[in-house]
Amino acid sequence: MSMELTLPNQLGYELIARDTIAAFARRLGMPMDRIDDMKTALCEACINAMEHGNLLNPNLRVQILCHVDDDRFVIEVYDQGLRPFVPPPTPLSIVDKLTGMGSLRGMGLLLISQLSDESGFVPRDEAGNCFRFTFQRSGAAHVCR
Amino acid sequence: MLEDDLTVTTRDQDGVAIIDLVGDVTTFAEDKINNAYREVTNTGARFVLLNFRQNDYINSAGIAILIGIVTEVNRNNQKLAVSGLSQHFQKIFRMVGLAQYADIYQTEEEALSGFDRFRG
Repeated sequence: MSMELTLPNQLGYELIARDTIAAFARRLGMPMDRIDDMKTALCEACINAMEHGNLLNPNLRVQILCHVDDDRFVIEVYDQGLRPFVPPPTPLSIVDKLTGMGSLRGMGLLLISQLSDESGFVPRDEAGNCFRFTFQRSGAAHVCR
Repeated sequence: MLEDDLTVTTRDQDGVAIIDLVGDVTTFAEDKINNAYREVTNTGARFVLLNFRQNDYINSAGIAILIGIVTEVNRNNQKLAVSGLSQHFQKIFRMVGLAQYADIYQTEEEALSGFDRFRG
């Protein structure tokens, strides 16, 4: 089973995608707490695609693909990559941020990695970034890291 | 961009400056939240409560704004607490470390009681 969405590259549209994916996940019987995790992770992935991949260019698009099988709910977020997104090797902690060692932003990937069961950029031959994150369909499989 | 959907108001309750946040806490919330915080700080608030509504949406940009508030709270020797977060966002606040700097309560009433231990 699969589903595809295409969004304008404008902040705020990630909420439309969030509500759509949540409705899809509910119909597939995902537990509510995992759907909450999925909603936050999806919004963060879309914001990264809009801000860092598509550089807030309103003429570009963000594409979301969902693939669901018996075991996993897989979401891929594609941008049209004006430049490859290179995340920092280690995200700053809140202590670092409070002591002025870096931007207060930049917690999106951290949240996605904590909320999903697997996440990361997928190498591509063509232009654009693909970020994939996965949720086990058995809620018991997830351990909050 | 889609319409900004956040209402921020302030009030005083038993010596606690309450900042009510109704709506989405995203990058668009920065001015509203910072202005509300400055307003209560300028009136001498020592105790500050960020009071959320259960179904709000808070993203990483919103969390960054709240980390900025923590920085100011520490600088101004105030005490900060948070109430009204859903279980999901309580978990998010713990994940990013905000819970180290602000006590998290289910309700406004519990938060107001929680400030009592700091009163001299």
